[in-house]
Amino acid sequence: MSENTEKVESSCDARRRILNIAVSTVLLETGFHATDKMSLETLTEIVQCFLTEVGNSAKGYCELSGRVEPVIGDVMMAIINMGINLQGIEQYAARPNRHVIQPPQQAPVPRTPAMLSAGSKAKPAPHIPFHLPPLPDPHAYIRTPTHKQPVTEYEAIREKAANQKRDIERALTKFLAKTSETHNLFNTDDNQVFPLIACKPTFPAYLPCLLPTDQVFDFDELEYHFQVANRTEDMPADKKDQSDNEGENGGDNENANNSQSENQDAPTSSSPERNKT
Amino acid sequence: MSRMSSPSIGMDEDSGAGHALTDFLLQLENYSPSIPDSVVAYYLNMSGFESQDPRLIRLIALASQKFLSDIANDALQHCKMRTSSQINQSSKNQKGPKEKKYVMTMEDLVPALQEYGISAKKPHYFV
Repeated sequence: MSENTEKVESSCDARRRILNIAVSTVLLETGFHATDKMSLETLTEIVQCFLTEVGNSAKGYCELSGRVEPVIGDVMMAIINMGINLQGIEQYAARPNRHVIQPPQQAPVPRTPAMLSAGSKAKPAPHIPFHLPPLPDPHAYIRTPTHKQPVTEYEAIREKAANQKRDIERALTKFLAKTSETHNLFNTDDNQVFPLIACKPTFPAYLPCLLPTDQVFDFDELEYHFQVANRTEDMPADKKDQSDNEGENGGDNENANNSQSENQDAPTSSSPERNKT
Repeated sequence: MSRMSSPSIGMDEDSGAGHALTDFLLQLENYSPSIPDSVVAYYLNMSGFESQDPRLIRLIALASQKFLSDIANDALQHCKMRTSSQINQSSKNQKGPKEKKYVMTMEDLVPALQEYGISAKKPHYFV
């Protein structure tokens, strides 16, 4: 009944149980055959309090005389102060029917199994004291970026670029076919099957050719290259052969083109002759 | 350890009892009390008493054991008085040998503790 009200830790439970056993041993030696639980608990409590009180008093007497380690005199003073009579203690020690309880064995410390350990723990650096706990798994504090080796083969890159370009064009044409005006390939009203992006001719069509344009410095940056496809005044010398010579511009441009192309042909024709010789 | 054999400053007055006890302490090494040393040392440590000498621990364990056995003896006397009075009252029974099994109950323990100045009042039942 008394143990319901007591809440002791498990470490005290073991020692308490041993005290129970010791008290039972003493009762057996005295001549009792049985006892009820309440008496046993009472006597165990008495023994525990006795030990605690003796320790307390002895420590107090020891510190009173300016010492730190208790001596037998302190213990005797403590016991006498409590009123315990130790007259026949020697005879009691030498009594014939004494039982001795085996000291409790030390239970082995349960080792927590090494679960979920990945990789080997790194050795601590020499500046870390050895009594500190070991380092955790290396993946907990070391970050190594993971990425695949990029493909550097020329063929694969060309293929990838070509696929990407084709997909872009397809997607864009589909988008324009769905959003902008469409022509129908077949002569039906329903134009959802093969929509064609409507070509919107500007009126009049010859207008951009008549209007003067600014000087072109970089042909690569032109957005509408077809508008100035036949403009060759600003082109560098080596690109004039590649440009389209079907000029819609004025005749002056044509004459300039022909004269410049002829001038260019002459040195190029002479160079192979020089190489031959 | 050396303090045990040589008389310390505080023990000069009652050298008789101190010497007797130191001698007894030397004998104590061969005898181990019923309560294990580690348990006694644990309870002493809880109250601040730390001793490296195992003989001191054994002395305290022995003192507590003797104290306990004194109480148990007194309780046994009470129990015998009670059973002898009962047997005297029921002497007509056919029990040949006297009842020799003694059970310690609170009825015997409380008056025994009362002589030592310990008043143990336990409720018979929970309310």
